Amino acid sequence: MRLDFAYYPGCAAKQVQKEADVAARAVALALGISLYDMPRATCCGAVSLRETKPAFSLAVAARILSEAEEKGRHLVTICNTCLQTLTHANHRFKNEPELLDKINHVLAQAGVRPYKASIQVFHLLWVITDQLDPEVVRAKVVHPLKGLRVAPFYGCHNLRPEEIFDAKAGEKADHLDRLITLLGGQPVAYDGHDKCCGFHVMLSDKTEMRAMVAKNCLNAKNAGAEVMITPCTLCDMSMGSFQGPAEKVVGQSIDLPEMNFAQLIAVAMGLDASAGLNRLHVPPYGVLSARGVR
Amino acid sequence: MSAKHYTFRIQRNRKGPDGRIASRWVDYPVSATETTTILTLLEEIKGDQDGSLTFRQSCRSAICGSCAMKIGGRTRLACKTHVGSVANADGVVVVAPQANQPVLKDLAIDIGPFFERIHKIQPHLEDGPDTDAVLEQSAYDQVNHVTQCIMCGSCYSDCVMAEVTPEFIGPAALAKAFRFVSDPREGQKRRRLEQLSHPHMMWSCARCAMCVESCPKDVKPMEAIVKLRTRGLAKGLDAGPGPKHALAFHQDIQQTGNLNEFTLMMRTVGILGTLEELGTAFHLMKKWKIPSPLPHKSAGLAELAKIYEILEEHPLDVETKAKEVVPE
Repeated sequence: MRLDFAYYPGCAAKQVQKEADVAARAVALALGISLYDMPRATCCGAVSLRETKPAFSLAVAARILSEAEEKGRHLVTICNTCLQTLTHANHRFKNEPELLDKINHVLAQAGVRPYKASIQVFHLLWVITDQLDPEVVRAKVVHPLKGLRVAPFYGCHNLRPEEIFDAKAGEKADHLDRLITLLGGQPVAYDGHDKCCGFHVMLSDKTEMRAMVAKNCLNAKNAGAEVMITPCTLCDMSMGSFQGPAEKVVGQSIDLPEMNFAQLIAVAMGLDASAGLNRLHVPPYGVLSARGVR
Repeated sequence: MSAKHYTFRIQRNRKGPDGRIASRWVDYPVSATETTTILTLLEEIKGDQDGSLTFRQSCRSAICGSCAMKIGGRTRLACKTHVGSVANADGVVVVAPQANQPVLKDLAIDIGPFFERIHKIQPHLEDGPDTDAVLEQSAYDQVNHVTQCIMCGSCYSDCVMAEVTPEFIGPAALAKAFRFVSDPREGQKRRRLEQLSHPHMMWSCARCAMCVESCPKDVKPMEAIVKLRTRGLAKGLDAGPGPKHALAFHQDIQQTGNLNEFTLMMRTVGILGTLEELGTAFHLMKKWKIPSPLPHKSAGLAELAKIYEILEEHPLDVETKAKEVVPE
């Protein structure tokens, strides 16, 4: 199987959450997954652009998808919201040919290659858990997690709406759990694993956002989690960097180390220089060294 | 299909002498085929094992919405849910009352606060200046999306925003509001959108799509909320951080192709709001999580400007439409 993908890290991974990007690239390289940059790709616009300019948002998505398609590659991302936004548009293009024609007409007038709706949008995590032989991953694990209790925080936008995704989504999704097991860890079941990190209301409803962070983290911690991982750079920002502000809102210490899934893989594969743990607000050094992982 | 053994782990709730609800979990063994409904089995338990078990039910046909309850961690209609689809690997089915609503007894909740929220959006057509004079064939393309709602409360019970604040109006009320805002006969579309732009209304949805998954009638409340926001912005209702944030996205993508996260906060919450958040900014800075203020441009931006210009001159209607409802 050819594991060549057009790589769309998303805005957060280019700046504030760049540790996720560095880890993702290192892990992909080690696993034989080729990620090709997309110099013309813009921000996906998230649901925000769909709200302000619905047609423009579809054209922006089509332009991004077309860049990947031109190179004959499926698109892969490490941001749940980019995943959902591009998948939502792609799902419509594949199922509404008239809509695709209208958008392509606009693209053509602007000198952009029309999109043929032939590619798929994947999360890098799905590529690792669904497209690679588990033995290939296991063979690269030099520091197995030795039963480390890891809370999978899926976030919303790689799960819902279930019908648009090209992988097991909704309540059936288990990719993060399978990854944790594959690395030698123990997935922790808790209420909140598929709830919202609050990122998209961080500025408009800031107390509520922090309350969501606290609730999800505390539920995970009370269920025995020693560390939390997410497949999304935006969830990372909320559950990790905003854990401190969330503690202030609920008046309670949380102290649950949190990182991106790619960072935990990097740790398990011994790619320490690319793991970026020094950029985490709630660092996992203690729990990792207690298991002899690093 | 052969019968299997399941364990119903039911949250029993009873009001104590102090007026507070005391909860305990009680296990009830049942034997059933995978496609037996939860409601049938709850009735069996009530009939054969414990007559004091209290739950609501009526139509048994996913029409009345009475039997919505938490089943296997998600709110579902007991009459529509097969036991085999919600039992865990050990055959345990966890049943609890709806969340975000006051519990009366066992699985019965007070649905009153849910309906108070529905009434807040004036769930009836109103006279006024915005009534359309002509009804086109396509007039109900949007209305028909949300008229399937049976007011079961599932979306509100699973809403992540309702979980952290009782102030939020909730998905069902917003979907209902969209039904009126998009009805050509409605005369107060603008006033409705103004009201919906207030705090804890349409801009407070976290867009997690949990309501899309929970809804047993495929109403997709979050899609209605997104469309409400589009209509509000189209009428120039852009006060408050929600709309300002959405507009900032649109400006950045149009101008540089990428978000300028450094100025995004200032443009969303203004100078005072940014000053309030200086503590948070300092906290983020400790781990270098402050974006560069310089815009980062994608290649081929002229294309984007052209696309934008074409769509401003010749707007495209790309909204999803409800399937045509043909009377049987």
